[in-house]
Amino acid sequence: MRQLQAWLLRLGNLFRKSRRERELAAEIESHLQMHIEDNLRSGMTPGEARRQAFIKLGGVEQTKEEYRAQRGLPLIETFLQDMHYSCRMLVKSPGFTTIAVLTLALGIGANTAIFSVVNGVMLKPLPYRQPDRLVSLFLHGQGLDRGSMGEADFLALDERQHVFEHVAAFSPSSIGFTLTGLGSPQMIPGTSVTSDFFSVLGIQPVLGRAFLPEEGKPGVSLSVIVSHRFWEQFLHADPAAVGSSIKLDGKSYTVIGVLPLDFHFGSHNELWPILQLRPAKQRPPYWLLTMGRLKPGISETRAAADASLIARQVREQFPLSDDMSTIVVLTKDLIAGDASEALLILLGAVGFVLLIAVVNVANLQLSRSGSRMREFAIRSALGAGRRRLICQLLTESLILAALGGVLGLAIAYGSVRAILALSPDVLPRMEEITVDGRVLGLTALIAIMTGILFGFVPALRSTDSPVGQSLKEGSRAATSGRSARRLHGALVVAEFALALVVLTGAGLLIRTLSQLESVNPGFNSSHIMTALLSLPPERYAKAPQVISFYEMLFERVKNSPGVEAVSITMSLPPNLLELTNPFHIQGKLGAPGQPAPAVAEIPVGTDYFATLGIPLFRGRLFSDADRSPATHVLVINEDMARRYFPDHEPVGTRVQTGEYNPKGDWYTIVGVVGNVKYKGLGEKDQPTMYVPYFDSGWCPWFAREMYVVLRSASAPEKVVSILQSAAWSLDNQLPLGHVRTMDQLMYDSVAGSRFRAVLFCIFAALALVLAMIGIYGVMAYAVSQRTHEIGIRVALGAQRKNILRTILREGASLAVLGVAIGTASALVLSRTLAGLLFGVRGTDLGTFVTVAALLLGVALAACYIPARRAMRVDPMVALRYE
Amino acid sequence: MGDKKDVWQGTLALMVLKTLQALGPLHGYGIARRIEQTSGDLLAVNYGTLYPALLKLEQEGYISSEWGTSDTNRKAKYYKLTRAGRKQLEKEAREWEQTTEILARFLAPGKESA
Repeated sequence: MRQLQAWLLRLGNLFRKSRRERELAAEIESHLQMHIEDNLRSGMTPGEARRQAFIKLGGVEQTKEEYRAQRGLPLIETFLQDMHYSCRMLVKSPGFTTIAVLTLALGIGANTAIFSVVNGVMLKPLPYRQPDRLVSLFLHGQGLDRGSMGEADFLALDERQHVFEHVAAFSPSSIGFTLTGLGSPQMIPGTSVTSDFFSVLGIQPVLGRAFLPEEGKPGVSLSVIVSHRFWEQFLHADPAAVGSSIKLDGKSYTVIGVLPLDFHFGSHNELWPILQLRPAKQRPPYWLLTMGRLKPGISETRAAADASLIARQVREQFPLSDDMSTIVVLTKDLIAGDASEALLILLGAVGFVLLIAVVNVANLQLSRSGSRMREFAIRSALGAGRRRLICQLLTESLILAALGGVLGLAIAYGSVRAILALSPDVLPRMEEITVDGRVLGLTALIAIMTGILFGFVPALRSTDSPVGQSLKEGSRAATSGRSARRLHGALVVAEFALALVVLTGAGLLIRTLSQLESVNPGFNSSHIMTALLSLPPERYAKAPQVISFYEMLFERVKNSPGVEAVSITMSLPPNLLELTNPFHIQGKLGAPGQPAPAVAEIPVGTDYFATLGIPLFRGRLFSDADRSPATHVLVINEDMARRYFPDHEPVGTRVQTGEYNPKGDWYTIVGVVGNVKYKGLGEKDQPTMYVPYFDSGWCPWFAREMYVVLRSASAPEKVVSILQSAAWSLDNQLPLGHVRTMDQLMYDSVAGSRFRAVLFCIFAALALVLAMIGIYGVMAYAVSQRTHEIGIRVALGAQRKNILRTILREGASLAVLGVAIGTASALVLSRTLAGLLFGVRGTDLGTFVTVAALLLGVALAACYIPARRAMRVDPMVALRYE
Repeated sequence: MGDKKDVWQGTLALMVLKTLQALGPLHGYGIARRIEQTSGDLLAVNYGTLYPALLKLEQEGYISSEWGTSDTNRKAKYYKLTRAGRKQLEKEAREWEQTTEILARFLAPGKESA
């Protein structure tokens, strides 16, 4: 306590020094006078009395110095002094300071920005109660890694499990819910959830209440919980709106709660209608995502064992279904998912950029300390200890780093916004990506570490030469000698090696992007407009109603000006595959219990192939003649033909889809068409079968939600209004959702690759510029140091061209060495990129050669300026310089 | 070197507190003379070292200071014991006595073997 009080007083004493100094002087003065008087009284001569008093005191200045040490806090005072002096030095060389701070700011800023993203996506706990107890459950079986559940599995789990506080199933609607009755009909994104969903998350509505268990039972009136945004936008933020009724997909739902403003789950969900599950008659289809909250003390393994047991029991109930277990995954890991790998690689790349920046500033410091040798020599001659000099230099570095950190933070702040704008939907948990306390902490840490890193070597180097030597050596700035030049060289080599690694990564990712964009999707994507139609079940209850709506729509749209063809499909290329289904070939049934091969099944309109321009290889396409009476026909793609009909003609073969049913309908394959990408441009071809939508087993259920595809003669945007008015002329309650051109869809489908390529390119550009500045600085410094030597050479008859060549060779040899080391490292490191590459190998020769050539070219260009200066040295001037 | 100084600083502080208790408010020079007189020639230390010690005691709240006038009509800074200082003196004196007693017993020749 006393110590703390004393310490605080001492801290306070760092201020208002002059008054305290005066008091101290007065006290010592009065002490001396009293002593002198006493001495005089004891009979000394005035001179002797004075001398003795001084001797006895032990020196006025020493006393004062010790007193000051006790008064203030010497460490802090020294630090303040160093700060003061450093600031003066930095202000005196504004060029150096600006370059150093900017370099560091870019390095630190880029790191902070990427770390903010990593932090938001991977590190922050999920914004739900006890997120580490939150798990997702999947069915796991042969050929199925993380499969959804069906009603049978979920209901059994909900009823029999003992390891979760709650479990909930949910089903995000990729299409959204059609909201009618509040303005013009609109599609609102949402997710249907079972009654315990919000208990699993541990989230309470801010208004109203969560679902009650009985609301999840079939037959009970429907209820919905809405987002804060929905409440503001459609319910006028009226508290009385809770309890009111809204129409979704034509059904009436009671609004029972409003969620907190900052609540989010998945992307853009505004509506959370109750999901009422009926006991199942069969195990498939599997369409429910499942989450649970672990009871305290229950491990994931234990939970998985318990849930798997239930999955086995369900199978006993449905012996025809596949044998599956249940796996349990921490929801947090699941959400970060694929993004983690790419983000960690980006973090690595940006770390390299920071290292380059640090090396660069270290190089600058080193060059500068070369010309400050005399200053240090004089200071140490005046009694500054080596430790004090190193502290001084480190303080300078730390100030630079701190400035760089602050500016870097500003850069990071801007970059995070840019990243978020650049990459909508590329990253999960985007709402949580912010520059927060943890990010600030890391930035501070980076700044301090970099300050020490780039400050220490120059500080050690510039203080270890004997005082006399530096003072004696040359009247010009003392040369920093051979070893310093070697250190410079090593730093440049390191910079080039680091830059090469980052550039290679960028090169590989650019190649990946261009490869992806040049993939043939299997159809002609230009001049195609797509939109989503969702027919409300109560007005389109039966298949004939659905079919007649679509056929009338085609009739009206097809004959409009500018429209070349129109059709519908359930799955949309390049990456919206909705459904896969097992199939059985007549006469070639597999052993019972063996899972049948699953292929993509796509209900389409008759003109679908013509609209998208998918080529027909054999047989025929669908026609209106297949409609009534239904002919039960299928068209398959080439991949399916090759894979499942390797030795006989598929056309004419009869197959059945779904669970094998001896009494079921058989479909005849009538044609083979080209492969189309439905799972992403980078994915392998997928065996696919097309079925006329009106003859599909899914009509009318899934057929109520179909994508319209439209081929236009000119710009596809122009036909949107034609489609809209045609739809409204048939049914004025129908909204058009997800209106996109096919080109946009293609562009968006490679957004992840583009995001990575763009970021990597920015880092590579930074690395390149920094490396260029680095080698330029070192060569310019070397030339200026050697002006004298070059002057002598020229005077002795050296050819100017030779001098140019010497300097260039020196620079180039550093760059070549750096490139060589970098290439070796990049060959090793590019393996980590493998998962992000497409159509290019990590060891791609072209990329490596291009990058190496680019770096060497840049190095030569950067060396050319100082080399020319060396060539132009006037021997007389250079010699007179001494 | 540091250790010796600490011992000196510790004992010096105790001497200062005792002096102020015995003589009442006193200036630095007076305290120095008094300590020197009491200890004889055993403590031939620079007077200057007294001032950081006084400052330290003041920072710790054991003594307080104010400017006053000396017998010889000279302005001087007078130090006096605070309540906390009095307590501290008692405590330190007791500790010191204990220490010396232990050391004395320890150093007394031959008692145990006798």
